[in-house]
Amino acid sequence: MITQPQVTNYLSEHYGDEAYRELSGYEACGGFEGLRKALRMEPGEIVELVKSAGLRGRGGAGFSAGLKWSFMPSDDARPKLFVCNADESEPGSFKDRLIMERGPHQILEGILIGAWAIGASKTYIYIRGEYAEPARRVQQAVDELYERGYLGRSILRKKGFDHDIVVHSGAGAYICGEETGLLESLEGKKGQPRKKPPFPAQYGAFGLPTTVNNVETFSHVPFILARGVDWFRGIGTEKSPGTTLYGVSGHVERPGLFELPLGTPLREIIEHAGGVRGGRAVKGVIPGGMSMPILPPSELDVKMADEFLSERGTHLGTGGVMVMDETTCMVRVACVVSYFFRDESCGQCTQCREGTGWVNKICERIEAGRGTAADLELLDDVPSLMEGQTICAFADAAAWPIQGLMRHFRGDFEAHVAGKKCPFPESFEL
Amino acid sequence: MPIISIDGTEYEVAEGRTVLQAIDDLGLLMSGVEIPHYCWHPKLPIDGSCRMCQVEIEGMPKLQIACNTPVKDEMVVNTTSERVQKAQRGVMELLLINHPLDCPICDQAGECKLQDFAFDYGMPGARTEEPRRPAKKASDLGPTIVFDQERCILCRRCVRFCREIPKTGELGVFDRGDRSLLELFPGSKLDNPYSMNVADICPVGALTTKDFRFKIRVWFLDDVESVCDQCSNGCNIYASRSNNRIYRYLPRRNDAVNDTWICDHGRLSHKRITENRLSEPKVARKTTTYTTALQSAGELVREAREAGKGILGVASPFASNEDLFVLCELLEALGAGPGVFSVPRGAADDILIKAEKAPNANGARALGFVESDVAGDAAELAIVLGHTLEPAALDGIETLILIDTEDSALAEKAAVVLPARSFAQKEGSFTNHANRVQVFQPIVEPSFEALAEGEILQRIGAAAGLADWNEKYDVREVSKRLSESVAAFGGIHLGNIDDQGRELS
Repeated sequence: MITQPQVTNYLSEHYGDEAYRELSGYEACGGFEGLRKALRMEPGEIVELVKSAGLRGRGGAGFSAGLKWSFMPSDDARPKLFVCNADESEPGSFKDRLIMERGPHQILEGILIGAWAIGASKTYIYIRGEYAEPARRVQQAVDELYERGYLGRSILRKKGFDHDIVVHSGAGAYICGEETGLLESLEGKKGQPRKKPPFPAQYGAFGLPTTVNNVETFSHVPFILARGVDWFRGIGTEKSPGTTLYGVSGHVERPGLFELPLGTPLREIIEHAGGVRGGRAVKGVIPGGMSMPILPPSELDVKMADEFLSERGTHLGTGGVMVMDETTCMVRVACVVSYFFRDESCGQCTQCREGTGWVNKICERIEAGRGTAADLELLDDVPSLMEGQTICAFADAAAWPIQGLMRHFRGDFEAHVAGKKCPFPESFEL
Repeated sequence: MPIISIDGTEYEVAEGRTVLQAIDDLGLLMSGVEIPHYCWHPKLPIDGSCRMCQVEIEGMPKLQIACNTPVKDEMVVNTTSERVQKAQRGVMELLLINHPLDCPICDQAGECKLQDFAFDYGMPGARTEEPRRPAKKASDLGPTIVFDQERCILCRRCVRFCREIPKTGELGVFDRGDRSLLELFPGSKLDNPYSMNVADICPVGALTTKDFRFKIRVWFLDDVESVCDQCSNGCNIYASRSNNRIYRYLPRRNDAVNDTWICDHGRLSHKRITENRLSEPKVARKTTTYTTALQSAGELVREAREAGKGILGVASPFASNEDLFVLCELLEALGAGPGVFSVPRGAADDILIKAEKAPNANGARALGFVESDVAGDAAELAIVLGHTLEPAALDGIETLILIDTEDSALAEKAAVVLPARSFAQKEGSFTNHANRVQVFQPIVEPSFEALAEGEILQRIGAAAGLADWNEKYDVREVSKRLSESVAAFGGIHLGNIDDQGRELS
């Protein structure tokens, strides 16, 4: 059952307004009402509220944010930490950047509500190294909150509610967007995901109980508090309520971010982006950032929420929609994708370290016209050796797009092997 | 205690352990329960990266790594399912795509986990045609270790070892993805007192010791259980033997003594079995036959006893409990007082290395020998084991009978010199710093005539005319007498001490 979507863009409604980036402008638009409301509630009530709102994490995995908060140990005397994952390293994703630049106080308010809910005393905002401007804006916003009593001791004169926020810039690695790779990096170590157990809620940053949430996930929280669960559940789908910022890139006329309810049909999202460039036909669409399996044109009517995409062998991921038109060589896509994952694999787990490199070499061999039928079999098989068997989901992220390309565009691969060269024009650009 | 089922067999395991740890606790890992693994090591932090130990656990949708999955009561583990086998084949294939497969010239061949597991769990052929990752060949990591980077499978055992055990942290994995390479940190050398352990824990031929590299193929070796004699810790070792020669010592696991490690000094002490040996029996500084030397020593003892001269026994902390007990018996039979001994001392650490640089000082103490750097002036004849006492300390004694394994200045002063077997050439036991009695076996035969100290002493006693000193020497009989007559050894003798030793009461 899908609720009737309201026309709404609550996150980005005021992003065009420069004043909204500042505390006074944000407050003028109703900012921090959610926090004030939260501080009149018991922490446990807030966790339940966010759970019942059905807010799903917007960082890629789509896990219930309220449930994640509930994993934090309540009988643990150690300080608890929040980490805001602003690494946004998934290719095709650029929504968190916009939120940080245009609505930084949404994130911070969401953090403070969550901090009250789970008893966190400190938040680290881990921002990818390339995001210099977003880091500056977020730091400015944090400074404003300190000046105005929203951060520090006894926040909003609430005794016992203390919170600090530290803005931390990463050094540029995809894997530091994986939550435990991020924690390692935050601690000053090489960015390599941690084996689980222990999970971050037991042993997170600096060994303390930690919850990691994505930038956008935090941004939805103030609206849920201020406007209520029923309002939130009235947007999007039953299993995926609320909006998201779909980032559309690739062969479209007007690439950009479009805030739409979860469950908006893919075709409609592409139309928001002005449709395919030059009126060409769609060849394939990656629905949720580069690590998600590609969809063929026959699936364009899929509703863009995870419960529908997973039925089609792919996922919503970060909502980064990458559109490829009919001129696209899917083997070259495989080369680019596999090169990226080969380059970014942290190198810990055998399958990922060795598999990503091997897959990339096979793809490049096929693209160069030196591939054989045996190579196609390898591309069928090697990703299956990598999938689901490693410390983190990176190997899945490296395997899935190749599996998707082989599933839907095997013909492109076979044509390369049969013709001993790439049948697409060399001028082709991704 | 939780009960888990592995491939249909139930095991009672310790709470709070992971599957691999629990199986290792039971002593069944790879010898009863086969869960292949590379990065996991019982004495190092869990890494979880090689993915070789994946197993299927009922109720869990994905395969799990046995090394990091906590045991739970009623857990059902399958180590042989089709999914597990496919995962194992996958890991093996992927580990090998960048491996040089140079087994014919690799020193690890024969004791290589990559070879072993490729046979047991891998695929019959290769599906790659790409060139291997370029890497350094036979590079020098420091004074003890040679590194073949191209063979490295990046299990990071050596990295964790250097961080956790000597806490020197010389090694790291640099770069990422399939460019990952094990390297020394810039400006450092792998140079710490425990460096050679990295060669033992390296599952492949990437890290080998300069000492053993290319000396012999390992399938020509057999490993004899023994104990290191270089300090009072008594680290358990295997001595690898071939052609009546010791080629190397390897640490042998004993969680109460040395875990799975030994220090480099101890490891390299296998050379001492053949170096600087006292090999010729002498009477009045002239080489003679062993029988003549024994007879002369017996005569000297008989004369001293009959003349009522003072007789002193000097024990050696390098001699076995059994040898020292025969010395006790001889001194008692001769009416002499308790003997003395002295222990060489040096630097210690809080890992394995102890200050007492001999294996059996506590054995000497338990047998009543008095620690002293001087011999006293009451004696006219001294029966001296070893040369830990300074020669000057014995200056006032007219006649010395020296029984020793190594040549020393003392041999020049002795009336009779008798070459003895080292610990590697006889059976016996040492009592370590924590009063743990640990046994050793004969590993090699000396290339010259030599007897164990105990047997020499018994023959001297017989030659001196002591009643009942004529029976055939049997170290096991000596050990039984020791366990019956010295309270601390009550019930402990060579026949009932297992490979992990036993503590004195």
